[in-house]
Amino acid sequence: MRFNEKELVFLSRQPPERAAELGMRGPKKGDVVKRRLVKLIVNFLFYFRTDEDEPIGALLLEQCRVEREDDQVFSIVFLDEAERKYLFECDSQEQCVEWIDAVVKASYEFMRKNLIYYRTEIHRLTGKDPLEQYGISDETRFQVNSGLPPPPT
Amino acid sequence: MSARSSAVTRERFMQRHVIVSQERKKEGRKTRSKETIMKLNEKSVAHYATCNSPPDKTGFLFKKGERNTAYHRRWFILKGNMLFYFEERESREPIGVIVLEGCTVELCESESEEFAFAVKFDCVKARVYKMAAENQAAMESWVKALSRASFDYMRLVVKELERQLEEVQEEARSSQAKNKPKKHQPQVQGATFSLQNAAITGPSQEGVSSRENGVSWSKPTSVPNGVSEGCVWEGDFCGRGDGVKPPPVPPRRKTNGGSPESPVSPGTGCFSKLHEWYGKEVAELRIEWMQSK
Repeated sequence: MRFNEKELVFLSRQPPERAAELGMRGPKKGDVVKRRLVKLIVNFLFYFRTDEDEPIGALLLEQCRVEREDDQVFSIVFLDEAERKYLFECDSQEQCVEWIDAVVKASYEFMRKNLIYYRTEIHRLTGKDPLEQYGISDETRFQVNSGLPPPPT
Repeated sequence: MSARSSAVTRERFMQRHVIVSQERKKEGRKTRSKETIMKLNEKSVAHYATCNSPPDKTGFLFKKGERNTAYHRRWFILKGNMLFYFEERESREPIGVIVLEGCTVELCESESEEFAFAVKFDCVKARVYKMAAENQAAMESWVKALSRASFDYMRLVVKELERQLEEVQEEARSSQAKNKPKKHQPQVQGATFSLQNAAITGPSQEGVSSRENGVSWSKPTSVPNGVSEGCVWEGDFCGRGDGVKPPPVPPRRKTNGGSPESPVSPGTGCFSKLHEWYGKEVAELRIEWMQSK
């Protein structure tokens, strides 16, 4: 599958939400823990060799689950391949908890759920749709439920 | 970086490229002629495209090829900040994906295609993705959808609504404390440009995209628990009482100090202003288009 790699690399240079050196282990059998610079930017987790400017790789953080594996270890698992775990070893429990929190909140779909909640609550309390004043109340991405498949064109 | 260390880095990249191409050959895939330096969890990304989470927009568009300058008809699926394209509508896997962060969407002149637009990125040697829709309405609809697809945009909208909800809740609490009947509903801060936006879109065009993609918001009739017919609530966020805790705050992206405010740069914290820009941009594009015809 093609993707706009140059632009993603450029994205990896933007100010991160969170960045740290962590021990990272890939999902394949035989992968070992390696020290990586891990950066969280929008809904991507970029990982770098600690002395390099360009990322080795990126993980899109959608349709994934984050779990506490141990005191200082968390894992990311993608729902289409639940047996494959990416492991991250932190330097402290606190750091581990913070990373888990940050990764969970780093998904577009998570933000969408928040938005729907706020929109609904504001409407319930005020009788007004808060998005109407911005002219975006009909935008698909803000709908309460768009679970219907698109009709054939 | 010193000359020596950049040489070392370059060597490592080449080594990595060799490893990546060997792995790809093992998987039975042809190595692209362009060097692939960075890995991506491609399988899971492709899964995101086709899984049952609802897309934000779908449709056919003509896309200009990378090497071949002809326009090819592709099936597009927009989900969040990811624009996937498929060879056919029935294809199970996307040919590719365009990550829509740090880009602008513009109309463009094309000798061969009407209703053409381009997705441009703000980085050195960035590729320009040229696309064309099948008609005026589709083009405008796609341009709008793509220019609002970034994670940053969504984050701004969420932050704004979170702020508004806090205001509303604070108002409710203080009027309860004073034990006075509420004379008016708490005012929600408005933006001044919304008329402009309404002029562009109009109900008929918005209607097209809402119908295409699902149920649009319908005003709840007053029901005691706040849940109305016609809306299905996701997850746990049903209209509960005031005691419910709002969901955790989405992360705020730290920006470089002094970054100029522009529609593209994420330095804009002012929501109304950002919307004004989006609205203005679309209005200007429309005028341009009308004049060029």
